[in-house]
This record gives sequence, structure tokens and C-alpha cells, in this order.
Amino acid sequence: MLQQYRPLDGSRIAVPDSVLGIEMADDCTRFNLRIAGTGIAPAGKVFGVTLPKVIGQTAASGDKLALCLGPDEWQLMAPLDERDRIEAAFAALYAKVPHSLVDISHREVGIVVEGSAAAVALCSACPLDLDEMPVGAATRTIFDKAQIVLIRQGRDSFRIEVWQSFADHVWGILQAAGREITLEI
Amino acid sequence: MSTYRVAAKGRIDQSRPVHFTFNGERFEGRKGDTLASALLANGVHLVGRSFKYHRPRGILSAGSEEPNALVGVSRGVGRSEPNTRATVLEVFEGLNTVSQNHWPSLKRDVGTINDAFYMLFSAGFYYKTFMWPKSFWNKVYEPFIRGAAGLGKSPSVPDPDTYASRYAHCDVLVVGSGPAGLAAALEAGRSGAKIILVDEQAELGGSLLSEPAAGINGQPAWQWLETAADELAASKNVTVLTRTTAIGYYHENFLGLCQRVTDHLETLPEGAPRERMWRVRARQVVLAQGSIEKPLVFDGNDRPGVMLAGSARTFLNRYGVKVGNRAVVVTSHDSAWLAAINLAEAGVKVSAIIDIRASVPYHLVDLAKAHGIEVLTGWTVTGTSGRLRVSSVRVNPVTAGGKVGRARNIACDTLLMCGGWTPSVHLFSHTKGKLDWNEERQMFLPGAPTEETRCAGAGNGVFGLLDALKEGAFAGASAATDAGFKAKAGDYQIEGEIACTGISVKELPTDRNSSSAKAFVDFQNDVTAKDIRLAVREGFQSIEHIKRYTTTGMATDQGKTSNINGLAIASDAVRRPTPAVGLTTFRPPYTPTTFGAFAGYTRGSLFEVTRKTAIDGWAEQNGAVFEPVSLWRRAWYFPERGEDMHQSVARECKATRQSLGIFDASTLGKIEIVGPDAAEFINRMYTNAWSKLAPGRLRYGLLLGEDGFIRDDGVIGRLSTDRFHVTTTTGGAARVLATMEDYLQTEWPDLKVWLTSTTEQWAVIALNGPNARQLIEPLVEGIDLSNQAFPHMSVAEGNICGVPTRLFRVSFTGELGFEINVPSRYGRAVWEALYEAGRQYDITPYGTEAMHVMRAEKGYIIVGQDTDGTLTPDDAGLGWAIGKAKPDFVGKRSLTRSDMLKADRKQLVGLMTRDPKTVLEEGAHIVADPNQPVPMKMIGHVTSSYWSEALGRSIALAVIEGGRAREGQTVHVPMPGKTHQAEITGMVFFDPENERLNA
Repeated sequence: MLQQYRPLDGSRIAVPDSVLGIEMADDCTRFNLRIAGTGIAPAGKVFGVTLPKVIGQTAASGDKLALCLGPDEWQLMAPLDERDRIEAAFAALYAKVPHSLVDISHREVGIVVEGSAAAVALCSACPLDLDEMPVGAATRTIFDKAQIVLIRQGRDSFRIEVWQSFADHVWGILQAAGREITLEI
Repeated sequence: MSTYRVAAKGRIDQSRPVHFTFNGERFEGRKGDTLASALLANGVHLVGRSFKYHRPRGILSAGSEEPNALVGVSRGVGRSEPNTRATVLEVFEGLNTVSQNHWPSLKRDVGTINDAFYMLFSAGFYYKTFMWPKSFWNKVYEPFIRGAAGLGKSPSVPDPDTYASRYAHCDVLVVGSGPAGLAAALEAGRSGAKIILVDEQAELGGSLLSEPAAGINGQPAWQWLETAADELAASKNVTVLTRTTAIGYYHENFLGLCQRVTDHLETLPEGAPRERMWRVRARQVVLAQGSIEKPLVFDGNDRPGVMLAGSARTFLNRYGVKVGNRAVVVTSHDSAWLAAINLAEAGVKVSAIIDIRASVPYHLVDLAKAHGIEVLTGWTVTGTSGRLRVSSVRVNPVTAGGKVGRARNIACDTLLMCGGWTPSVHLFSHTKGKLDWNEERQMFLPGAPTEETRCAGAGNGVFGLLDALKEGAFAGASAATDAGFKAKAGDYQIEGEIACTGISVKELPTDRNSSSAKAFVDFQNDVTAKDIRLAVREGFQSIEHIKRYTTTGMATDQGKTSNINGLAIASDAVRRPTPAVGLTTFRPPYTPTTFGAFAGYTRGSLFEVTRKTAIDGWAEQNGAVFEPVSLWRRAWYFPERGEDMHQSVARECKATRQSLGIFDASTLGKIEIVGPDAAEFINRMYTNAWSKLAPGRLRYGLLLGEDGFIRDDGVIGRLSTDRFHVTTTTGGAARVLATMEDYLQTEWPDLKVWLTSTTEQWAVIALNGPNARQLIEPLVEGIDLSNQAFPHMSVAEGNICGVPTRLFRVSFTGELGFEINVPSRYGRAVWEALYEAGRQYDITPYGTEAMHVMRAEKGYIIVGQDTDGTLTPDDAGLGWAIGKAKPDFVGKRSLTRSDMLKADRKQLVGLMTRDPKTVLEEGAHIVADPNQPVPMKMIGHVTSSYWSEALGRSIALAVIEGGRAREGQTVHVPMPGKTHQAEITGMVFFDPENERLNA
């Protein structure tokens, strides 16, 4: 296989004492799944995670994660080597349960934002009330002018999923926020 | 240092001297001083010249309402700011400030001549004085007015500072940290609710900072303040923002707060933002903005040394500064008496208190007399004298009948005035909350709120310390309760409170000719009482009109000190009650706010998103010149050594047509449409027929709006019965997806089909040229590339260079072409592999300009360049793309409207200039007869125009009325210098038989 190109590969924003650490997430398999009511349960079985039905909730099993982003929309995330299996399994389901499964692994990049000041850094450009966002929640939102999906992985740990061409812009603002946090200003 | 600093008073750090300059002169202040307090401590009152008359002006107030004391601040290249209020500017070591609006110097200003000709500058002077002779307007009057207008000097180099933004949410936002605001924040904070307390000053306290004598709950005021501040600081649920101005109150309890982060610092931390704009959504808001003292309106009330009495008290109690050594007080309100007594206690010789009122509470009179102050109740002030500083005040008795008696002069070096206090209702007013006029108290008070908001304290007309604390506590507790928390307002006790009363007056009575009095209402815009009366005499009745005619209340202070006085005078002049005259609307921002704060991070590289493809880095390394296309930057052309754009594009086109060109098409919009009804959905959206398109085949698709006009186009591939790969224009990608989702969700929710944007999933490499197939054949696995198995307009899935691909055989150049879709992260590596392998064919990277030329040679349109939202498919020569047998598609019905069928509609055609070397200007107009009289009838315009290297001549596309029927006719294209002749042709200039495409 050829060398892959990743925007911002190896970039890192760090504020000492685990106040803030921002880095690119490892690659993973991502699918956009669109499916109607009765198909949700069988689709969950095929993926290997019971799909959450409330918008904004996530469900995980092992290293697979499902985010419910809309009334009929999920983002499925899994290790790279699961891609072909998942695609084949959904293809087998299609005849009985029509749906749309589209590979978006390369559309997005993940940016992990961690530390006690993670929420403050995100608030520099995200209008969501993060105090109201429980751990394990995920939502499509905006970060300045970029559409993102924001996942709260832990109290002080977030993951941004963003289209790769917008990643530079998101990163630039996080860098500015990181400087403010470093200066405690 | 000076006789004006009172060692035992104030909250400044007396042990820390700070040095600064004003107009080049070095002064010493104290840590904690504002520029105003530091200048006053040095005996400096004269700080600027007024806007219109260039009159000497001093410091009027001690707060953000200051209209007069505006200075320029400079801290190095690019860091200069005009119109900074000296009363809020904190001094630090090395601060450099200058006064404004004068030449050659503050003390000798030739602009003062305006003052002598004041009659020329009365209300509406722009409209009157400069009317005649008419020819003077452009050459004389306008340049003069432009030169004279404006306050201060705007910076001339880019601002080197950065600015920050932050969103925040809270249960209760409290604006103002005076007694009411503090009490509110304390009660709400104790409930556990999330609180933000914001105050524009450097420290919490508001009016308490000027009131050390009061006692609150058994503690001296400042000790209570410290306890309160400590409690708030220790509460994790409370965020305290000082030096932060709530500049605007917007819909749904959304407020903008501008925080000054570094302006007060002696050294700027590297990389620190200067200001931060907070965008706060609050469940509940408590507005405790306090009140603003009203000046009195009398002749000479603008002379340096004349200032607000409450502010003099603030300078004394908070900053330890006596504003003068010999004071006279003129007032219509009790509070100025307290200021007089405070000053007398600090050693200022207070010669007299002039009170407009005939009777004043006895205890105040007794107190004043006990301090040796002469009391003149029922008197008026009719003038002041002194050139650059007040030296005496002219006072007269007024009889019960209103007759003004004989004048006497009292010497002074400062004249303190007070016309009562105006509740600061600005933010409440931003919410469109109604203001109720209180006739008895002569003030506007907040009425029924339109947002989840409460007003408390002086800002609500509650002036007493005890009442303000109680109302604040109640507001804080009830706001917290309404936000879902348990809270109860605590009680307060006060020692030493003196209840203040007063009356409201219009301009003070005088024994002199009032039409020559310079009794200022608006200090910043130089509007006098006489201007307002003149406006009324000239027919203006509403305060909105009077405001615009006289410019009262229109300066950067938005009339904080002038609005109510102006209104009272206007109301008197029109003989109608105040509310009938109206109050002008307060608009954000509350105080002047920098553009930087609004812009936040949005500057430089973060000004706008710059989307880059996976291959962009290669293009950059290989010398590409870029052009912006929607948010993307795209390689425009790849100049080799010494080439200009024309040469580079000609070479790129030639190489592609002769052998092989490679092009980054990744920015094309892509939408994956999947589901049993996918074909039906595309049938309804696009004009073409899709049902019979076989899997593995491509078709050009045309998308219209309901109006029948072309919106977008692209090639659509059918990957399987139920799965389509749709491409859109680069700029149309988001819009097309949104349109499709809209139709799907609102018109056809019954269809089983789903849309996913895959624009960024795929990097797209376009290979065009006779050698395109030879290049990829050895690199592709799983696809038979022969012309029979994989003809023009085919799609197949397989591998290229070992990575999965969706391979399109399609061409936008007219050459044998492929569009190679690979997962984005592989885009660059595949590109590089193809480029290496392509060297044997002299592979040439080409940019968007060469792409444009080659597609124009083939007559392929670009939506948005050759179309402008008014072209139907037939107008664009694309009638063939309409599935005529289809029952419906978006826009179908509009295509049969009679207007759409007219023969003289503008149609897209080709143009060949008579002179083959002439390249027409895109956008140039076209006329049928160049000899017709001007204005000529335009029959169309040029939409695309290029030099075609393949044809050795220029080509152009144009829209022309009834263009197709005119084929062969000559038209004329006027351009700078010459009118060119051109022949109308068909749109396909190159290889009309498509032999190369199908090779």
C-alpha cells in the first residue's frame, strides 16, 4: 500500500500539568449509516453495537462506537481492519432491510482534546453548553465556521470529528485557545 | 508629588508610583489610577478640544460615560487607539497618551476660531451654511467638513494584536457589581447556580468604591466589599469578569461581553490576546447597571474644571485626588451636598453651594454651614470665566416669580455640578423592553421585561444603598429560583445612609441673552440648549428628528450624559410632556468597542476557512499559483521557469492535448445516493432520464430550480441498481446536498433513499490526453480498460496502485480521459505514482485555467460562469439533456411558461473574433450595430473568453438574444480603446466529432 497523507500529522498542542493536550486521533473506519425504524435493531446486530435511538447518544462495544446523529442517522466507528467485514455484513442485510451505508473513513479526521481546560478550549469557537453534555454524548455542531461532530469521551476528554479540509482551521483556533490557556489569560 | 493627592484617601496603591506621559510631558501617578485621576492629581484639567468649536475641555466624569476627556493612546507600531476615555484608562509605567482635536497644540488651537463663529455652526449647519454657492460643495465645503470631522486619528498600520472569543452559558448573569449587583451575585451564587458577574471597571464595587463611609451589616463598606469579593472568588460556580463591558443584550438572553485582557498591563505577554468577546447565553439576567449623573445646563458649563459632583467625590474617595483647591458646587440634588462636605473634610475650600431649589433639607444646610460653606438656595449659575480652566463662577438669586436678580462672582478653580441621576437602562432597552416615564421623578424606568431579566438598584431607579442592596438580593435570589435553584434573599442593615432627593431642571435661568449662551447639553458633539430650541423652532417635533438635526446624543458616548437634558429642553420647547417627545433608541454597543473584539480569531490565516485537497501540498511544492474557488484554494496554473500565466496555460493545454495532462479534481462535490428509490429520486431532481442508465455507466446531469433555470450540473455514475455516485460543481456541493435533503424531507418523505456527502472521502485525479489509458493500464487491477469494455462515460470499481478506486471514464477536456477516485488519504501518493510513471509521456500537471480553456474549446459550460441563474437548459444549448418522457422533475413546469419559449431569449453561443489574436474581455457587452446612438441596445455579453493554443486563435462563449438563429452574423464588442467584430458560431470549437474523446 502507498503512504497515506494526513493533514496535521504529528501536530500537537500541549499545556503542561495535563491542563490541555490536543492531538490527531489514529485513523479508523467510519461509516455513515442511514436506516429507518424497524431496521435499527438488525443493523445494530450486524455492526456489533446496539444502536442508540436518542439523538446525541452513543453506544460502544469493544472498540466499536455508534453515534446517533439524527432521526435516521448514525456514525459508526470501528478499527481499520473491520471495514470490509462491516461492509459485507450490511450488504447482506440490504435485501431485507434497505438502508444506506457509506464509507466516510477518509472524509473525516479525529482531533482529541483532553485535559482540565479541554472544555474551555472548545468554548473558544463552539457555542454548545458543554456543562450540559454528559460523558458519552455526541452531537453534530459547529466550531467557528466548520461543521464538526463533537464526542465527549470523558469528563475532560473530547474528540472532534471534522472533514479533513476544515481540520487546519479548527486546529488554528485550538492553537490560539491553547496560547490563552498557557498564559492563564 | 502634588498638592492634589490626599495621602490618607483612596484605593490606589500610594506606595507605587507609576510614570506616564501626556502630550510628551512626563507625569507621576499611582498604581490603580486612571489617566483622569492621575492627571487631576497633577492639577491637569485641560485634556482636549471639543469636536466642533474646539473649545478647551476637561474631565467631566469619573466613569465610562465620559464625553470630554478622550485621548489617543499609543504603545508602539500599530498599537494606537483614538478616543480612549481618560476616565477608564488605567495608567501603567510607560503609558503614552496625547490629547486630540487641536492644532498646533492643546493650549493654542487655531480651530478655536470655530468658537468665535459659533453662529455658523448651529443646528443643521451642514445643511444651511454650506448650501451656496452650489459649485463650492465639491471643491470647498465637503473637503473642509471631511477634514474637520471625526474625533482623533485612526490607526494607519495593521493592528499587531490578537483578539479572542469565548462562548459561555450560565444560570444567572449579573451585569454590574455595585451594591445591587453584588447582592444579586451573592444570593444567586449561594444557591449553587452557575453565575457570571461582569463589571466594566478594574475592580468590583461600583458606587461602593466611592462610599467608604457607609456601613453594611456591621462592617465598613469597603470591608464588606472585600468579604463579598472573597466569597465570590471562592465560589466555584461563580465567574467574575472585571474590565469587562456588557456591550449588548440580544435575543433569548444572549449577551456580548467585551473583556479587556491586556490593555492595563505594563508589558504585554507574548501571544496574549488584547481583548476577548464573550458570547453568553444566560437563563436569567440581573441588570444592575447603576446610574449616571446629569450635568446642569448653563453658560460655560463646559469649561475645564467644571465637572460632575459625584465624580469629584469618586476622585477623592476612590483615587485620593482633590479635583481642586477652591470649589463651588451647583446642584438641584442632595447628592452634590455630600460631595461638597466630603471635599471640605479633605481640606478643599468649598466657597459655596448654589442650589437651584428654594428649599433644601435642613440637615444638609446645617452640615454645610458647619463646614464653613456658604449656602445659596434658590440661586442660579449664569456663567463661568477662565481661559483654560474655570477661575470664577457667576451666580444670581432667582425670585419665587422666576426673576433673576443681580449677579455676583465667586472665585473657584473647580465647579462641581449635579442635575440628579439617570438610571442606566441601556441594556434593558436593547431587549426592546419598554421604558416607563416617571413624571414625578422625571426619569425613564424599566417597564415590563421582554426577556428573562430583572433590573435592580440605581439602574431601576432605586438609589438608596439599603434599598439597592435589598432589591439586588431579591433579584439575585429570584433569578436563581427561576433558573431552577433554591434561593432566598438575605437581609441587610445599613449605617450612615443619607436619603437623597432632588429635582430635574432644564437649562438654568439666566439674566443674560440666552441666545448667545453656550450652555452645553451634549459635550462630545458640541450641542447647546439653544441648538435644541432652534431645531424645535424650525419644525422638528420628535426627539428622533431633533437628535439627527442637532446631533445631540449621536457621539461615541451615545448621549449618556446628554440625552435626558436634551429631552427635557426639547419637551419644554415643544410644550409637550416628555414621553410624547420620545426617547431615542439605545443600540449596542453600550460603550465604544474595538473592531478587533468583534472579529476575534477571524483574521489572518483564520479569517476564512481555506480548504485544501490532499494533493494541494504537491501543487505547492511544484510551484502552482492558486486561486480561490468557494472555500477551496485550487491550483490555477503551474508556471515553469520564467513563464507568465498565458505561456504556462498554453503549454499545459498543448501537453494535455498532445500526450498527457494530470489535474486535481478533488474539490468536485460528491454525493452518494443510496436506496431502493435512488433512481426515482434522481429522476425527480435532475432533468435527464435515469431509469435506464445501466450500472457501470455515467450520464451528464442537469439540475434546475423550480423556476426552470440551471442551478448545477455534474456527472452521475450508477454503481449498482441502488447506489449512485453524484458529482456537483465545486461551489455548488453544499447547496445541492441541502436542496436534495430539503426535497426529500419535505416533498417526498415516502422515498426510500438516503444522501451522504462524500466530497472529502475521495481524492480525484483527472488524467486527460491520448496517453491516459497507456499510463494507467499497468497500474489498474480488476477493470478492463479497453474501449469496448470501458467506453466513454463508464464507471467501475477496482484498484489502482494497490488502493481501491472508483474509476470514471469521463472527460472535461475532449481528450481521452479518466477521473480516478481514491480514498482521500491515498490521493497524494497515487498522484505521485502516476506522475512518476507518466514521465515517459511527458505528463504535465495543469491547473483550473487550462481546464477552463480546454472545456471551452469543447463548448462545455461552467455553471455560474456561462450561466447566471437566468438560463434554461435550452438557452444553454442543453435541451438534449431533458428527459422529455418524464412526468416531472424539478423545474419542468416552469420550462413551458410562455416567457421561457420566446425566440429572443438570450442563448449561449460561440464567438470568433474577426482578429484571431483578440481575446475578448469576459463580461464585455455585445451590440448588433456599433453606430447606433448611445445608450446602445445591448443584446448580450461575453461569458467565457480564452486564447486557444489548440486552435491558434481566440475563442469565446457569449449569451446573445436569439443567438442561435444569428449564427454566422457579425456582432460588435466595445472594449476599452476599440470595438471588436466577432462572428456568432456554434459552441464546439475543437474536435466536434468527439473522435479524441472516444479513442
